[in-house]
Amino acid sequence: MRYLIRRLGFYLLAAWAALTLNFFLPRLMPGDPATALFARFRGRLGPEAMQALRETFGLTEASLVSQYLTYLGSVFRGDLGISIAYFPSPVADVIGTGLVWTIFLAGTALVVSFTIGTLLGIVAAWWRRGWVDNVLPSSLVFLGAFPYFWLAMVALYILGFSLGWFPLGHAYGDDLTPGFTAVFLADVVRHAALPVGTVVLATLGGWLLSMRNTMIAVLGSDYVNLARAKGLQPSRVVLRYAARNALLPSVTGFGMALGFVLGGSLLTEIVFSYPGEGYLLVQAVRNQDFPLMQGIFLVITLAVLGANWLVDLVYLWLDPRTRDSVS
Amino acid sequence: MTKPLLDIRDLCVDYVTPHGPVRAVDRVSLEVKPGEILGIAGESGSGKTTLAQALLRILPPPAVISGGEVWFEGSDILALDEPELRAMRWRRMSMVFQSAMDALNPVVTIGEQIVDTLRAHGGSTPRSARARAGELLETVGIPRDRIDGYAHQLSGGMRQRVGIALALALEPALIILDEPITALDVIVEREILEQIRVLQRRLGFAVLFITHDLARMLQVSDRVAVFYAARLAEVAPAAALRRAPRHPYTQGLLRAFPTVHPGGEEPESIPGSPPSLRNPPPGCRFHPRCDRAVDKCRELTPELRPLGAGHFGACHLAE
Amino acid sequence: MSGATTQATGIAAWRDAIRRDRKATIGAVMLTVFLFIGIFGPWLVGDPDTLVGIPLQPPSGEHWLGTTGQGQDVLSQLVVGTRVSLAIGFAVGLAVVLLGALIGVTAGYFGGRVDGLLSLFFNVFLVIPGMPLAIVIAAYLPSGPLTLGLVLVVTGWAWNARVLRAQTLAQRQRVFVAAAVVAGESSFRIVTREILPTMTSLLVAQVVGSTVYAIGAQVGLEFLGLGDVSAVTWGTNLYWAQNDSALLTGAWWTFAPTGLCVALVGFGLTMLNSGFDEITNPRLQLERAWRKHLLQRGKEPTRSTPVVMDND
Repeated sequence: MRYLIRRLGFYLLAAWAALTLNFFLPRLMPGDPATALFARFRGRLGPEAMQALRETFGLTEASLVSQYLTYLGSVFRGDLGISIAYFPSPVADVIGTGLVWTIFLAGTALVVSFTIGTLLGIVAAWWRRGWVDNVLPSSLVFLGAFPYFWLAMVALYILGFSLGWFPLGHAYGDDLTPGFTAVFLADVVRHAALPVGTVVLATLGGWLLSMRNTMIAVLGSDYVNLARAKGLQPSRVVLRYAARNALLPSVTGFGMALGFVLGGSLLTEIVFSYPGEGYLLVQAVRNQDFPLMQGIFLVITLAVLGANWLVDLVYLWLDPRTRDSVS
Repeated sequence: MTKPLLDIRDLCVDYVTPHGPVRAVDRVSLEVKPGEILGIAGESGSGKTTLAQALLRILPPPAVISGGEVWFEGSDILALDEPELRAMRWRRMSMVFQSAMDALNPVVTIGEQIVDTLRAHGGSTPRSARARAGELLETVGIPRDRIDGYAHQLSGGMRQRVGIALALALEPALIILDEPITALDVIVEREILEQIRVLQRRLGFAVLFITHDLARMLQVSDRVAVFYAARLAEVAPAAALRRAPRHPYTQGLLRAFPTVHPGGEEPESIPGSPPSLRNPPPGCRFHPRCDRAVDKCRELTPELRPLGAGHFGACHLAE
Repeated sequence: MSGATTQATGIAAWRDAIRRDRKATIGAVMLTVFLFIGIFGPWLVGDPDTLVGIPLQPPSGEHWLGTTGQGQDVLSQLVVGTRVSLAIGFAVGLAVVLLGALIGVTAGYFGGRVDGLLSLFFNVFLVIPGMPLAIVIAAYLPSGPLTLGLVLVVTGWAWNARVLRAQTLAQRQRVFVAAAVVAGESSFRIVTREILPTMTSLLVAQVVGSTVYAIGAQVGLEFLGLGDVSAVTWGTNLYWAQNDSALLTGAWWTFAPTGLCVALVGFGLTMLNSGFDEITNPRLQLERAWRKHLLQRGKEPTRSTPVVMDND
């Protein structure tokens, strides 16, 4: 319990750091932050609306401290300002349309890649110099060296554009209404196959190698040697003794990789015009929609922090030593 | 004469390095009779643990067994294949590892680690295996309710007891104790040794008892084999070894433990340090540290030869 | 004088080791090829901005990699882009490790409250997703290689700091460091003379790894249009390819070669790193020697200790 509370405290601190960073970024930039932030609004907004927007971001004549407090207040109310690219929708609403898709895409890709990569890592470590160990690590590292979005472009070009096996973009067909119907869900899976597949392909090598290397170290440990001396079946030695312990560093790595894979997944969304945060982000960049950009940064950071806490829960369940730790 | 339970003949073990193999056990021959406690003494790095793990064929890379035979209950362990080894391991020969800290799986309960041993060798239901695991823990003086605990929740002494409970699980004919008391304090050490003796008398298994603490070993063992630099220096009944050690190295070791020496004078360690196995000295490997060494010792390797009733030594000077 | 000779033999020893290790050889060769392209290539190809022909021509004898959507030569753009992208990649890779070392080593060496604070700092940076943060910062700053470099350093240093802190902590406890502290040497001297030299191979590995990161992240940001889109780099090449709807017009040659180059450089650097690991990791060396010993004697490596009688 203590462990989870400590971790929660850390994530709250990280969230506060991200909020503060978000507040100071426009103010650190050259020139008047309000001008930079709202340059595109000129002529589209009346003076009153501009004033409201200024207050949301605390860009008033007041002192920095009171500006900061105003800003924190609006964030806690869920007010992230108004989007320029999707004027006049509030940023929070715009982000809301994409969040589910991003979490679905990146989450599925992460879980699938982690599971397959870890299993392959176990196989590679147990049958050292077998074909899995000889061929897969290098080939997957090679695939992992491509930018995610480039793999996405190639996959889209070959499998979507040339062969026509997969749709060319979006999360579902234009002719369908969203809902929990079999037709709709099947279509969502069909649309997600390529983006998920390319992210999985790009990240598989990392999971394989990390699991393989920890497995090799753990296989040399005393407790695995004792398991072997006990005359246990090889499958039991590998899974219950070696893999079960080697999994722990990989799970820690999973938490660390969350943010990184998400970044790649955002770029992949762009290639597929997938309606997630990555797609919104590129719209924001093109239109210099700073409120939207900053909102996306904040929301994604919070999502990553939350996911990290879930990973901590899993770790707690996997490692009894964490449960008893007092420090 | 009783037929030996374990008969090691000219066993050689190498560690392969990029610069060629290094011999860690060199032409060692030993017998263990049923129900006997054989002590193996020697400094760390002299090949004791290597020998123990070679008997179960669990030495990890880069070890290679490069010569000899190991006859155990009618078959040569060096000729067994993987399934045969698996059937022999633990059911007939088990082991208590040197470091109880690292030998238990940290993420699986100690109960489960005993249960899966019982179940791997067949014949027990999950329920009966669990009951037996509780019984085994009690046998070694651990409360039954610790069965669902984890290794990190136990003290060093308790972990070592779990190791012993594990080794007893299948009532094997031979148990190897690899430095079972090294990391323990004196009281726990005495308790555990006492317990091993009691259990051994009750269950009748043979023991290969490895330690660098010659004093403890002489208390516990029936016979003692002394290792020096991968080779046997002397093998003798414990009483004979204590009374009249024949090898200068054994004599030195005994002087280093004055509590066992009848004279009881000041402890006196052997000058110098053991040779590197990568590049051992020619002739008798002890000659650079031996104050009685003559030319012959520097040139000719002494073979283990009989020096009295059950007493063997590898020294040119012992008559 | 004698210092110079030991260094020379050190480098020679490394060169031999790299030659013997297959992965290190592959990595070193690939890296050398790209360094050559980056350094000398731009003088051998034409100006990448010149409009040389009809847009979107497929590869031909005249334009080996075809033309872009604007009608520029793809090969020229690729070669000129190599120089800029590699330069930024290596500069950022080095800077990221320097910053990481400064913070990580300080934390690990001084311990206590300094360590607590700095560790918290890099752990927070580690958990905040880098790409969105980089995008926001890059969007505010005027675009250019300096902005790009700065953004990549800010979002990339934390991992190195974490690893180097752990390593420093381990080294600090080594006896010789304790002895140096007793002898009254200054902290700066102890760190630079006693601690950092023991981590040379780790630092080299980190620079190589961070360069892979820097090239990948740089290409990603430029692809989003956050670089200087008028410059010629690998990332902006991909940006323009996407902008000119390369996919929908079937102009694979405008994006395929660039991605392949990114991957080849990344792969080469990664191979170099795992080659270094194989060379310096005694465990892997022993296992390799063991395997060779067995195979030479016609035995398969087995899980149970193998038996190879060598008296016959």
